[in-house]
Amino acid sequence: MSELTSAQLYQPVPLPKPQGALVRGIIKVLPPLVVAALLLLLYAWIRSNLEPHRMFLMPSAYELWENAFSKPEVWADLGSRSLVTISIALAGLAISIPLGMIFGLIMYRYFILERGLLPNIVALQAIPMLAIIPLIQTALGFGFMPKMLIVAKMTFFAIPTTLLLGLKSVDRGALDLFKLQNAGWLTTLWKCALPSAAPSLFAGLRISASMAVVGAIVSELFFLAGKGGLGQMIINSKIDFKYEQMYAALIASTVLSVSVYLFFSWLGNYLFSEWHESGGKQG
Amino acid sequence: MEHHPATLSAQENRKVDGAASQANALAFDRVGMQFPDGTLALEDVTLHIKQGEFVSVVGPSGCGKSTLLKIASGLIPQTSGTVTVDRNNLGYTFQDATLLPWRKVLGNVELLMELRGYSPEERRRIAQEQINLVGLSGFENHYPKRLSGGMKMRASLARSLALNPSVFMFDEPFGALDEITRERLNDELIDLYMRKGFTGLFITHSIPEAVYMSSKVIVMSRRPGRILQVFDVPFAYPRAPELRYDADFSALCGEISISLRQAIEG
Ligand SMILES: Nc1ncnc2c1ncn2[C@@H]1O[C@H](COP(=O)(O)OP(=O)(O)O)[C@@H](O)[C@H]1O
Ligand SMILES: [Mg+2]
Repeated sequence: MSELTSAQLYQPVPLPKPQGALVRGIIKVLPPLVVAALLLLLYAWIRSNLEPHRMFLMPSAYELWENAFSKPEVWADLGSRSLVTISIALAGLAISIPLGMIFGLIMYRYFILERGLLPNIVALQAIPMLAIIPLIQTALGFGFMPKMLIVAKMTFFAIPTTLLLGLKSVDRGALDLFKLQNAGWLTTLWKCALPSAAPSLFAGLRISASMAVVGAIVSELFFLAGKGGLGQMIINSKIDFKYEQMYAALIASTVLSVSVYLFFSWLGNYLFSEWHESGGKQG
Repeated sequence: MEHHPATLSAQENRKVDGAASQANALAFDRVGMQFPDGTLALEDVTLHIKQGEFVSVVGPSGCGKSTLLKIASGLIPQTSGTVTVDRNNLGYTFQDATLLPWRKVLGNVELLMELRGYSPEERRRIAQEQINLVGLSGFENHYPKRLSGGMKMRASLARSLALNPSVFMFDEPFGALDEITRERLNDELIDLYMRKGFTGLFITHSIPEAVYMSSKVIVMSRRPGRILQVFDVPFAYPRAPELRYDADFSALCGEISISLRQAIEG
């Protein structure tokens, strides 16, 4: 019996019951709601400490509604300006994505070009955006094209770098498999390296996509001629002292940015979750 | 329904009939391999494998076994000596299954045929045959991530079998599997060998597996790899699982084990 004196008795522990849809829903939405509530508290606290003549910096929900969101013309303005902003963002991506992929591919194909290009791509990324906007304006004027290029520059970096990383991480064994059948470089790229690099590339696309709207808005801050997008609305409402409308534009640009990000996240998940190890469904 | 008379008759001709025919299917003559960094991986390896033979290679890890297969397949060129083999008709499975994760089982089994330019119908038909043969029917539309290790290896075997290789090389194919799965796959591979009649070159670090599978077991020295000793395995095919408990079987395993220990100790 003596060896049992130090023994402990362990009872079976029942597995936790699977959570119902309600509980799972609450777990999903509660944490962000709590954080949002804390932010609202912070907002109220700051507002209560502002001197009255600076109160406009933080409009109340009532003022936001009264001077912005209750007005159809503000909605119309937000709508048409969002369209302008999103088209700048998408046009920029339409340049940076194909161009970035081409750069990623040639760096993968020719090691010497990787040595030549990669440091310059890093340098391009390192140029502060705001610092070269005046130069872009002088060179290219105030139309759509310079704004598009600004977005392209801001969203370029993540694409060739993530693609190159993905391509270089292809399983050696898989490459050997293609080599053993005397498959050409293009076949190997198309059937092996690219599919294998696609999830990595998509991580880059997601970063770029979320930067694109930001880039579009930043680009507009400097281009005030004509009817512009949300960025212009932000500057104009400062000039016109309509801070509620500025908030409306800020909210709209956030929604836009998050939507683009969510779309690319969804697309990546849709394309890869079935087979990729990081994907949702597990065997 | 296209038929491939060439493929079929080649397969018929290669049926194992107990005694291996005399021609060499794979021959290494005084093969040496020194990597660019100076590593001498193989030295003076001469090994002739007759058509229909099934030869296993055991040796200390890092002695150049994988290198030997890479040289045979042409993945890397040897630095001395000659290799004689028909590389158009070579099967090669790696230690891990190397399935393409974005392709389902069927797509993976079709891959090599696709690269060889087979027509889609033919690919589909042959792939389905091989999938049935390795016991994966019902899993055609599963992605690799949903397969167990043994099933992945089966899919990998099916992929190579689809080209109906006349020489089939295996680089520790079952090394990562549990004992029970491994023994089952041993039997299934012997069964495939009996049916298809390919010439086998099988690398393993399990001596019982080597003896159970093959007609000859080669013991290699530690690096630089040389052939130390060749053991003939006298048991007739097909081999029954009971063979593993046979006294002669154990005795042979013991002899090889001693030889391998000498190889490791130098
Ligand atoms: N590409 C390479 N460059 C330099 N050394 C290598 C290379 N590939 C393999 N080796 C070395 O050659 C030896 C044999 O390797 P390998 O054939 O993989 O051994 P194993 O018998 O375990 O399969 C090892 O010492 C390994 O480190
Ligand atoms: Mg090896």
